[in-house]
Amino acid sequence: MSYVLTCPNCGPREVTDFSFGGEVNPRPTTRPDKRELGAYNYFRRNVAGVQREWWFHRSGCGAWFLAERDTRTNQVLLTELP
Amino acid sequence: MSLDFLVPSTAAVARSPMEREALRARARLETRDGWTVAVSFDEPEAERRACNETVAFADLSWLTKIELQAGAADLAAIVASCTGGGRLELGGAIRVGGAWWCPYTAERAVVLCEPGAAARVRDRIQEAAGVAGGLASAVDVTTAHGALAILGPLSRELFARFTAIDLRPQLTPVGGFRPGSLARVPGAILREAPDRYLMLFGAALGRYVWTVVSDAAERLGGRPVGADALEPFEERVPEAASHA
Amino acid sequence: MTRLPPQRGERIDRRRPVDFTFDGQRVEALEGDTVGSALYAVGQRTFSRSFKYHRRRGLLCCAGQCPNCLVQVDGAPGVRACTEPVREGMHVEHMNASPSLDFDAMRATDLVGGPFTPPGFYYKTFIRPRRLWPLYEKVLRRAAGLGRVAKSRREREWRTEYRRRHADVLVVGGGAAGLAAAAAAAELGADVVLADEGPAPGGRLLAEGGQDHAREAAEHARRAGAELLSNAPALGAFDGLVPVWQGDTLHQVRAKRHVYTTGVIEQPLLFPGNDLPGVMLSGGARRLVSLYAVKPGTRAIVATVCDRGLDAALALIGAGVEVACVADLRADAASPAAQALVRRGVELRRAATVLEARGRGHVQGAVLGARGGDGHERVMACDLLVVSGGGAPATSLLCQAGARTAYDAERGVFALASLPGGVYAAGEVAGHGELHAAELSGAVAGAEAAHSLGLGDADSRARAVAGSERLSRGPVGPSGVAVPPPVAGDRGARCFACLCEDVTAKDIHLSVEEGYDSIELSKRYTTTTMGPCQGRMCQLPAIRLMAAETGQSLEQVGTTTARPPWQAVPMGVLAGRPFEPAKRSSIHGRHRELGANVMWAGDWRRPYDYGDPRGEALAVHDAAGLIDVSTLGKLIVRGPDAGEFLDRLYPNRLSNLRPGRIRYGVITSDAGRIIDDGTICRLDDESFYVTTTSSGAGAVYEWFSWWLADWPLRVHLTDVTQGLAAVNLAGPRAREIMAKVSAVDCSSEAFAYLDGKQADVAGARSLILRIGFVGEVGYEIHFPAAHGEHVWDALLEAGADYGLRPFGLEPQRLLRLQKMHILVGQDTDSESTPYGAAMPWIVKLDKDQAFIGRWALERAAEEPPETALVGFTLPDGRVPKEGAAVLPESGDGQVGQVTSARHSPQLGQVIGMAWVPAGLARDGAEVTISDDGKRLRARVVTKPFFDPEGEVLRS
Repeated sequence: MSYVLTCPNCGPREVTDFSFGGEVNPRPTTRPDKRELGAYNYFRRNVAGVQREWWFHRSGCGAWFLAERDTRTNQVLLTELP
Repeated sequence: MSLDFLVPSTAAVARSPMEREALRARARLETRDGWTVAVSFDEPEAERRACNETVAFADLSWLTKIELQAGAADLAAIVASCTGGGRLELGGAIRVGGAWWCPYTAERAVVLCEPGAAARVRDRIQEAAGVAGGLASAVDVTTAHGALAILGPLSRELFARFTAIDLRPQLTPVGGFRPGSLARVPGAILREAPDRYLMLFGAALGRYVWTVVSDAAERLGGRPVGADALEPFEERVPEAASHA
Repeated sequence: MTRLPPQRGERIDRRRPVDFTFDGQRVEALEGDTVGSALYAVGQRTFSRSFKYHRRRGLLCCAGQCPNCLVQVDGAPGVRACTEPVREGMHVEHMNASPSLDFDAMRATDLVGGPFTPPGFYYKTFIRPRRLWPLYEKVLRRAAGLGRVAKSRREREWRTEYRRRHADVLVVGGGAAGLAAAAAAAELGADVVLADEGPAPGGRLLAEGGQDHAREAAEHARRAGAELLSNAPALGAFDGLVPVWQGDTLHQVRAKRHVYTTGVIEQPLLFPGNDLPGVMLSGGARRLVSLYAVKPGTRAIVATVCDRGLDAALALIGAGVEVACVADLRADAASPAAQALVRRGVELRRAATVLEARGRGHVQGAVLGARGGDGHERVMACDLLVVSGGGAPATSLLCQAGARTAYDAERGVFALASLPGGVYAAGEVAGHGELHAAELSGAVAGAEAAHSLGLGDADSRARAVAGSERLSRGPVGPSGVAVPPPVAGDRGARCFACLCEDVTAKDIHLSVEEGYDSIELSKRYTTTTMGPCQGRMCQLPAIRLMAAETGQSLEQVGTTTARPPWQAVPMGVLAGRPFEPAKRSSIHGRHRELGANVMWAGDWRRPYDYGDPRGEALAVHDAAGLIDVSTLGKLIVRGPDAGEFLDRLYPNRLSNLRPGRIRYGVITSDAGRIIDDGTICRLDDESFYVTTTSSGAGAVYEWFSWWLADWPLRVHLTDVTQGLAAVNLAGPRAREIMAKVSAVDCSSEAFAYLDGKQADVAGARSLILRIGFVGEVGYEIHFPAAHGEHVWDALLEAGADYGLRPFGLEPQRLLRLQKMHILVGQDTDSESTPYGAAMPWIVKLDKDQAFIGRWALERAAEEPPETALVGFTLPDGRVPKEGAAVLPESGDGQVGQVTSARHSPQLGQVIGMAWVPAGLARDGAEVTISDDGKRLRARVVTKPFFDPEGEVLRS
């Protein structure tokens, strides 16, 4: 895994500069029932395709941002501030 | 002030995180502004040669560092106010008033200056922050970061040994500010002049970073030099013209 | 030593002799020779013994692609003699033959061992009787492997320089096409690096009369500004990062565009006896002649499927080698080369090939005939059998970079079918074999790469388009190729498909019979392509064999996945720098001076103890102790909404904390599980000082800032973990010692338990937190890291008269255990809730503010936890291991585990913490612990062992 990720603040960096924050997983807006809570906490879509996900520039600016990446090829389609 | 306990005082000895490494390399220390500074390695000829012909590195951890945070508009206003109209663009630091103003994000920047200029810079920031619309914070992070000056024609070759940040001149011009991984730890590189850089890294990693840099420099025929081998941080580069 | 007359473009310098030793014997060579060419020149014909059967092997490719010449050089194993330059005084030794290359005892495996060593033999033989395995293992270990590694560490040391190189365009392969591509891209202003594995740029040109052309092309590229690296093979393509290994430097090249001009790999032919010394690829024979002026043989037979073999035959004639016969598999070979041969009176047989090579230890003759071997066979004597099975495009790196190949039935090879964006291919690898076409395709590719980066102009773009059109019109590749059969003739006998691993055509047949009928399975079962050549010699032949065996087309069989490293590389090149990122407190030097035993705690170096953990712990109770806790995570949280922010992240209330007061906090995930713990001190209305565990600092900052990115709160976070040093001064005399270094009033009225005050300590501005991790009256002093040694020294000096002792992590662990203070991650795991961890009081469900984890904790509050964290004592002195199982009252299984345990000198007994069934979480309950098979009866304790009511702490 040696691809390049473009931090919206700092520009392109090796992917090892960053912490991966997981796929975007919206938090329930109202009190969830047990099943919804379990799904939110433990289930992920884990798509084989373009995934919208969180990244943190741990080694650089310390900002969180979003990316869309094809999980099959590691091609990063876009990165943007939240 | 509630955050006073972050600021080193002159009533107690302040040491760089790399002081022991410098001493092992036979540095001579002097106390300046409360800090023990490695001012020289008592080899003026070799130090001069390294600066001009190969690569030299010097411990500048005693530089004052202030982290500024504010909403984008407020931060821009504070910077403009303190720098006579200067504007920060991501990736580019500006030098005004004896200080480097370095942007991390649209809402966060770090200001670097000599301890002697610190009070003046702090006052200006306080004043500007006071008229900001939203929350504005100026936190002293002087002791949180170590700093090394890297200079000489082989500076970029040195960096190539331990960082993947692209420092080719066409991509990192003078004033370029590049936060990113250095030797596998978080840091930042500021290009101060054509062949002079400042690298920042976590203070707890001082000994480790010195070891990596020293090893790489040695392989390139370079060496550590004292602070006195450098032209003063404040006066060396002419003040950047105000960026409109 | 006899050499041919001077050859144009020869690499040897006849005026400079070089001496080296081979197996102890002195060898005279010339500067510019390789070990292989020098040894061949003095008559060496056997260069190694094959991996499994220990058969003699001789020079085959002379280009570093096959395994036949692997030797040991100056103690380093696995060096290819045919590409290793000679050096004065080098010691070369053979590998894999004992006692000598000429007489190798292990040849027995070839003669009789066959039945014991079929493919996958390790699944079939040497299994029973099981008790003999130690013997089998010993024998197999001795037999396996190639070469020996020096025992002495110093002899094995290897230093690699790692060098990151950013570039606009990386060209891999420095032949005609690659040089043209590099020049074209550089001329348009691109920052170009070219990496070539040969000792000088030029590729095939160097051995085939094009050395002047090569030199000019290289100069042209350099003048245009390209950086040319020689002896620099690319090791793989990793998502655009290409490591290039050059001697003791590893260039980590990250280019925006990649042009691969890696050429083709000449293929051998399969026939019985095809691995005999004296069977040589046409390129190998030409290289010996052109580069090293070495005569490869006296009487040669050439078997070819394309013009390459014919050109080689002409070159051999020019070197004075008698070419007895040329067998061209093509029915109608009418190229200029064929005509030239005929004109010279060389017998040229069409539609013919070699069916067998014969000889003892070296080729002595060959059987020629029609493909399929039907009739009209002729046996001819020779001492050199030159073969050419055509060229297979070297697509491995391209495939690693995302290219796809497809079988080209006309040429009989897997050719490039598609390229991913940003990747270009030119020259022979892309099917443009003829020199001008190769150069044109290289120039077009280089220009296109530069154009795609925004360089160049309308003119250069028009030129590139025109060039591209010319290419598609012109002839592609060599003038006709005949596709060789999987195996010549039907003699069925032993011919070697994989030379590296000694896999025969029959072995592949067997693997298919046993059910390993896909190329990936057969590869793994037979180990074909898994040796030093990585499929260069054997991938295509193996696929042909599989197609024949399974009745599938070659397209259906397909290729195996291309993987790095493409070139065999020493481990030392990949090992990385020996520097480990280690965080150290600013006081670390003092710990070393005090004789501390230093250990890793996360990525920090910390004192485990100062040599006397028992005494250090006791000192804290008797007098005072000082511990460096600078590793704690430290966050400044400030802003008008800081209180609300913390209320949202912690299950307890923090917004109502008064300035100057401290509260313990536990951070829970949205699943209600404990993530981290620490203290929160309110500095003023808008500022909080949050501490975290040492290893959790980074994670907590990420957690806080992630939520902050989403919540519209006016809060700023600043991580000052490394900026502040922190020490904990604790014990009955701590107050008195504080009085000597600080003016702050430490009386219990003025400075109560859980108060936080700012004051100078030894002249350093500090934040003093009166908390009690270790159970005695204590002051945790936080101050700028730069003052670390200063404050430490001052405290030790001030405390000298009171018996103050520094103490390390181990005594600290004991002391906190006495107070049943949990260590997140040790006493809790990813499933622990505050309820299970015996701190239900920290969850304020009646808080107005919604907080992370509330939903889960509300549910958890309704259902009692299954297991709970308790303390326990053990009557006998045995300290159970951390992780020891808690057993059920009856039956088998495990119902809990010990998380911490120590013997406490202060209390005179063994204490610990464990998770036990919730029903047993009450004082006096008995639980059974199994420690290394021994059953221990423990007694549950729910309050701290030392000072259960906290009176000492609050005094």
